[in-house]
Amino acid sequence: MPSLLNKLRMLDAEPKKPAAAPPAAASHSSFHHTQALFPISLFSDQSHATPELLKTVFGCPFPERVEPEDVLFLDTETTGLSGGVGTVAFQIGVGYFTHSGFVVEQYLMHDYPEEAAMLQTLNALMQRFTVLCTFNGRTFDVPLLKSRFLMNRIAHPNFPEAHADVLFPARRLWKLRLKSCTLGHLEEQLLQVHREDDLPGALVPQTYFQYLKDGNFEPLQRILDHNKQDIVSLAQLFYFLCKQVAKPQEIGYGEDLFSLAKSLEKNGDTEKAMKCYRMSAQSNMHNEACQAMARIEKRSGHTEAAVRLYQTILRHDGSDVNACEALAKLYEHQLKDIPAAISYTRQALLILSEPSLFRSEAVQEQQIALQYRYARLRRKLSAQSK
Amino acid sequence: MNLDQLIGRLKADSSFMDCVTEWRTLPATQGRYADLPQEMDERLKEILRKRGIHRLYCHQAECWNLAQAQKDYVVVTPTASGKTLCYNLPVVSSILQNEDARALYLFPTKALSADQVSGLYEMIEALGVNIKAYTYDGDTQGAARKAIRQAGHIVVTNPDMLHANILPHHTKWVKLFENLKYIVIDEIHTYRGVFGSHLANVLRRLLRLCAFYGSHPRFILCSATIANPVELAQQLTGRKISAVTENGAPTGERHFVFYNPPVVNRQLGIRRGVVNEVKRISENLLRNEIPTIVFAKSRLQVEVITRHLKECVRNAYGYTNRVRGYRGGYLPSERREIERGLREGEVDMVVSTNALELGIDIGSLTACVLCGYPGTIASTWQQAGRAGRRKDTALTIMVASSAPLDQYIIQNPDYFFTASPEHALVQPNNLYVLLSHIKCSAYELPFEEGETFGDVADTSQFLEYLSENNILRHLDGKFYWMEEELPSGEISLRSARTENFVIIDITNPAHHRVIGEMDRYTVPMLLHENAIYMHDARMYQVEQLDLDACKAYIRAVDTDYYTDADLNVSLHILDDLEQKTLPNGAGLSLGELRVSTIVKMFKKFKLDTHETVGFGEVRLPQMDLHTVGMWWTIPDAVANRYTNDALQGALLGVSNLLSIVAPLYLMCAPRDVNVVYQVKAPITDKPTIFLYDAYPGGVGLSEKAYQMQEMLLEHALQIAEGCRCECGCPSCAGPTIEIGERGKADAIALLKELLA
Repeated sequence: MPSLLNKLRMLDAEPKKPAAAPPAAASHSSFHHTQALFPISLFSDQSHATPELLKTVFGCPFPERVEPEDVLFLDTETTGLSGGVGTVAFQIGVGYFTHSGFVVEQYLMHDYPEEAAMLQTLNALMQRFTVLCTFNGRTFDVPLLKSRFLMNRIAHPNFPEAHADVLFPARRLWKLRLKSCTLGHLEEQLLQVHREDDLPGALVPQTYFQYLKDGNFEPLQRILDHNKQDIVSLAQLFYFLCKQVAKPQEIGYGEDLFSLAKSLEKNGDTEKAMKCYRMSAQSNMHNEACQAMARIEKRSGHTEAAVRLYQTILRHDGSDVNACEALAKLYEHQLKDIPAAISYTRQALLILSEPSLFRSEAVQEQQIALQYRYARLRRKLSAQSK
Repeated sequence: MNLDQLIGRLKADSSFMDCVTEWRTLPATQGRYADLPQEMDERLKEILRKRGIHRLYCHQAECWNLAQAQKDYVVVTPTASGKTLCYNLPVVSSILQNEDARALYLFPTKALSADQVSGLYEMIEALGVNIKAYTYDGDTQGAARKAIRQAGHIVVTNPDMLHANILPHHTKWVKLFENLKYIVIDEIHTYRGVFGSHLANVLRRLLRLCAFYGSHPRFILCSATIANPVELAQQLTGRKISAVTENGAPTGERHFVFYNPPVVNRQLGIRRGVVNEVKRISENLLRNEIPTIVFAKSRLQVEVITRHLKECVRNAYGYTNRVRGYRGGYLPSERREIERGLREGEVDMVVSTNALELGIDIGSLTACVLCGYPGTIASTWQQAGRAGRRKDTALTIMVASSAPLDQYIIQNPDYFFTASPEHALVQPNNLYVLLSHIKCSAYELPFEEGETFGDVADTSQFLEYLSENNILRHLDGKFYWMEEELPSGEISLRSARTENFVIIDITNPAHHRVIGEMDRYTVPMLLHENAIYMHDARMYQVEQLDLDACKAYIRAVDTDYYTDADLNVSLHILDDLEQKTLPNGAGLSLGELRVSTIVKMFKKFKLDTHETVGFGEVRLPQMDLHTVGMWWTIPDAVANRYTNDALQGALLGVSNLLSIVAPLYLMCAPRDVNVVYQVKAPITDKPTIFLYDAYPGGVGLSEKAYQMQEMLLEHALQIAEGCRCECGCPSCAGPTIEIGERGKADAIALLKELLA
């Protein structure tokens, strides 16, 4: 009768060859630990990263003072992306500023039993910082590390109180223009970093597992290089982002200005938002920016200013239905100028009556709404003239 | 017309009564009560009194006392007996005492969870305290999930979510695991067979994590009436369990009618079709506006009956929603809408698979029609229990199909009313299931050398096997997870090793929509290419079945036929477990089998007359089932007395008879065990009859059959000899057309030989 182990082996359609015993990778005395120094000149002006600005950009509270030395940049390489408790951050990279430059420290466990010591080292280091900066760390790295601390029974790890996750503001600022907002794409487009022979992230887990099986450290060097570049790019991106928000006049792209204005408006900083919209209106984003400004003016009761803005749009592009409709509303309800309202409604209907191969449902609805408006305005006019 | 009037009319209707083999009236019973426990929190007593509850039923009070004594217990009660208070009172009370306390509720289906949590809300709202109860399942929104993990006092979920979402992410649930006081598992009788074996292992994983976080939760379990609730509860939880079995709730008068459709061909033993009879009976109830639930055996039956009844109520506007179908494969929102319609009285009649057998609140239906014997005594009582609330009269009509088991039950009503309900069998140490969960558990927390898993004292060979496959890494006395993906994703609790197929309606090329899903084992039968698939009484044809992507593409069609697939089976022995030779020379064996099944063709049947109108070919790969089986080998001396044809007829007859009696004696559903024969089995080189568990790894049925084989054979003989047909009918050895003129006699002779 087959043994239990043999029966288990029979469950497989194609039995695998039993793996060799774990290689000698475990014979290290401690986890792999390296340090590298980068010159400060690699980074944008750090003076813009004030607590107030950080609060605006990241939407969470920051300590009263934030010096460059207070920020810990962190990125991990993991055995999977599923985020469950069996996923391990086998490599942790951290970066921070000292008077001599930007230091990148990298930890890598040679095997599982080294994890606890590696986490303890990270925990001791984190204590020195008040701000943590990551790229997508809010949903990935930090929960994963918290889970690892818990699994290794390290209670209350010293995560810095403030967390600046660059992914979200980066998306708000650059998505419109750059579309993709992965760290790799951002560094290429914004920081002119071009990686050579970079290890694709998807291969990271398999590369590590292969190392566990054969003990050959060489391929891991590519993971370490990749992670090191991630940390440097992250720090560069962080200060570049702060600078862009602090000095919008230096932003060279209408889309970015428009995106910035939009997020300022959402934050309630109308004045600064208007300033950015105005700058953005000088670019290819003219109509969008004017539309946004007109919306703000209308909301603040500046009817004339709103009307002027919508008229600017129409001068720029006579077929903008939305501007016509907005003007019709303003003339009807605020300025009580029914003939002008009728004229803009008619203009809008004229634009929509242009033959078009493709007419969406939304456009049809708009057309119906305009026809109602037109009829109502005619009634109002005839009532007035009686 | 009310129900009492209708009952009077039915009794006076001779054509109906001619078919009734038994009309049993079960008298109303009085309630038995106990005072509200003294030590119960005043706030709880207050809200109970406000709801008109001044005393508890005696079983509720007993539960309360067991909970106060820190015991794990199972409460066994029928439908509508105030079961929820058996667990809600102790749980809510413990949270009132300590606001950090947490509880986990497990229900077998999402529908039940949603239903139960709304009852719990009402109670908490009435208390006016800050106790948070949430359902956590596939329908829970992302943002809400975080709040539930942090702050939910009572988390209501199902075993699948626990298995695939909670346990593999346990570090996000620290608060729950550290403070878990109660694990409530309702409807444990549904955790039979492979599902139960899985659940037992999910609970082992859960308890292993509780130990890691330092908590020791108590179990409160609820079960419908089955033969072995305590044994099942103990197998599921690995704990010693106290039982509360005396029901204190009053019940109304209950009429139980056994209806056998009239014989249309005595020689062939053919009766009128069960579906047609159910249509007629249900139509009568529908026209008299008696709120009714119809239980059908299959998704197909649900669709056929719903279609007919919808036609009966179609009004001038084409509105047919007074009748609704309900089954697995409908989307959750659709199901919630039907449940609401039932509660609010907008739906008069629902046609359901056993999906509605469980305790979802669907208000007070008064009648229940069973389309065929549900397969087990326990299920029958559960389904009948869906009609009739505490004090009202209720009617259940069970319409027998020509299936042998149905015919046995309908003609032997005493068996049904006196036999104990079934045993729920589970096999937590089924090799497949156990291995899967040790794998999951190793993901959740590294195993240490020598660690136990539930009652599995020695895990070393499992861990070694997983290490051999590079799934675990064995180092310094521990086993670490070393794969990228989490293992629970590919392990489904409902049937071992399956992933679900989605069913996509491509009728509108611009708008493909998913209308349902189906498990891998059922797909070859119902979703092979060119199959007619029915959904909510609409007919579709399967255009393409994509096995790799697990998708079936269907298109609406208008046809007058439906399809039914033929299944081919072949067997291979993997390991002999036990064998012996009977005094008469027959061999008896128990072993592990590989059963290969393949669908090669399907038949087309006309919708209304069910006559065959055509065939079609199916090209699908074979599916392998690795399971446990037992088999009888017929000695040459016996076999030589038959011609080849006669032997075939006799073997088929005996197999048919065995598949009727096996579910009765093994106390399982007919589909849980399969009986097949081979005239010259490649394995034994002799005529052989096989009986095997229809689940990977087996769930213990064949072992039991091996032990009681003589009783199975005796009972098979009794049925054959007791049947009034001339030479075989579907209710005994099988229809003459299949087994031949002498099939029945030969089967009887063969049974006698085996018993000699």
